[in-house]
Amino acid sequence: MAQGTNKTYKVPIGPVHVGLKEPITAWLDVDGERIKDATIRPGAIHRGIEFMARERNPIQVIYLAERICGICSFSHIVAFTRAVEDATGIEVPARAQYIRAIVLELERIHSHILWAGVACYTFGYDSAFNLGMILREKVMDVLEALTGNRVNYGTGTIGGVRRDITPSVEKVIRDMIAFYKNEFGVFYDVVTDDPIAKARMRDVGVLTGEDAVTHCALGPTARGSGLRVDLRWSSPYEAYCDMDVKPVVPQDYTGEVRGDVFDRFLVRVLEVYQSLEIIENALNGLPTGDLMWEPKLTKLLSFLKQADGTGLSSIEAPRGDDTHAIRLTGGEDNVTWWKVRAPTYSNAVSWPIMFRNNELADSPLIINSIDPCISCMERMVVTDRSSGHEQVVTRSELVERCREKTRRLMGR
Amino acid sequence: MSPHRRSYTDEYLDPEKVLSLLKKKFRKTSDDMVLREHRGGAANGGSYQCLWVRVEKHRFLDMVDTLMEIDFPHFQITSGDDIGDAIELNYHFSIFRSVGRGKRLGVTVSVVVPKDDLVMPSLWERIPGTEYSEREIREMFGVDFDGLPNKGLVFLPEDWDEDIKPWRRDETGPKPEDIRELS
Repeated sequence: MAQGTNKTYKVPIGPVHVGLKEPITAWLDVDGERIKDATIRPGAIHRGIEFMARERNPIQVIYLAERICGICSFSHIVAFTRAVEDATGIEVPARAQYIRAIVLELERIHSHILWAGVACYTFGYDSAFNLGMILREKVMDVLEALTGNRVNYGTGTIGGVRRDITPSVEKVIRDMIAFYKNEFGVFYDVVTDDPIAKARMRDVGVLTGEDAVTHCALGPTARGSGLRVDLRWSSPYEAYCDMDVKPVVPQDYTGEVRGDVFDRFLVRVLEVYQSLEIIENALNGLPTGDLMWEPKLTKLLSFLKQADGTGLSSIEAPRGDDTHAIRLTGGEDNVTWWKVRAPTYSNAVSWPIMFRNNELADSPLIINSIDPCISCMERMVVTDRSSGHEQVVTRSELVERCREKTRRLMGR
Repeated sequence: MSPHRRSYTDEYLDPEKVLSLLKKKFRKTSDDMVLREHRGGAANGGSYQCLWVRVEKHRFLDMVDTLMEIDFPHFQITSGDDIGDAIELNYHFSIFRSVGRGKRLGVTVSVVVPKDDLVMPSLWERIPGTEYSEREIREMFGVDFDGLPNKGLVFLPEDWDEDIKPWRRDETGPKPEDIRELS
């Protein structure tokens, strides 16, 4: 494929591609190695979740909402429950608001470290990827100690939360904060000072501030283009009302905005520090009191059945503004309609702009601004290298081992 | 491209003023334009506000342009429902997104689109970020968007029977035999 002949070829990246962690197709028009234009075709994993909700009551929909995403499952729960709370006028106790904020920030830390690691892997920096994965295990253990699970926490409910922060869990969280304050700097230096990492990310996949505004970009993607936008700041909700969270933008740290992959990388890495600070503040100011507006499920359900109204909620998820809208009709058990807008839905509109005039080899890095989801394995093989012994672990054995580990982390 | 606003404002206008401006221009009463206050934090103080407005279909573009004069309306999503002889669409926007702490104003604009004329003006030229949502509403509800350049399917599979509109509740909606229960 000769470059400069003005003849373009169509190259599909996806729906399944070694550089992608989730199924999506990008049709790239290439002239030689240069991408001239791109067409994105989502839909390979659309599951009709909003349609399914019409046959479920709001409590059942919590569990659907949690399964929208394996990375930001709690963000979707909070966005959903807040939309229901907006429609029905339910008030969340202060302690529950703070616990929600703490879990949201823990989720942001694990999502950002995962993304940063995977971005390194995408351009061949596997040692930084492995370092990221090692560091991320700490926050995963903390989430497990707090909620009992690594992925779907089952912790949010309408009008509050279902898990408390006990003194032993508080200690685990404070240990984690100290750990990251010491250890995360290594990852930050390795990546931001490395000339090769910089060369692979600088001026790649540029999204200008103006394009970010008109194409309605969100979260770290918008902030990487220099826009001061963050819902925790512009419309503080719940515990964020008591905290001054400032949007992290590259110009405040490097003195310039280029809107490239490096700027988006920098924003996410710096936000890990910001999240640590928020968690520390939330723990220091954790109010006492109830965890739920109504702990009796049947009472809550009968209240929700009588409720009539439309609710809307937007929260700052790891990838940006997560919006849920819901309609409940008085006398109906089930949700009338529910609309979910995950941040990638908006950010994906900007991809064709990021692709234009970039190299074909950079396309997975540009696409990978989505966080990958990791499938659950049914069973695994454990190998002891010193003896050469191999053993197949069944699902039930794996579940028992997981429970053992959770009990150990929770100090029981 | 159009001469529309392409950046965020830093000039803030009080939500009450935005409300009275819109009420006056669109001759609406408090039934059609409501301001909701959101509260939070340990002291349960006011945190931000959301405006919910209803307009007639022929005044919808005028409403978006009026918001555009105040600030670039950041488009979040369109939600909607089949309400019998019409489709109700709710456009969720935000203004003052980058003005200051607690200043963002959510603006939801609801429009009723009658089923005998299922066409809405596209916002794509003003706000390119609406593309996926307009394509989604088109494939799920069958509402056409006048001025939208790419009307291809976005979330439904390539071989989808386009006569079936998944979110409709009438004869064009999915029939029980179209739905596969997985468990």
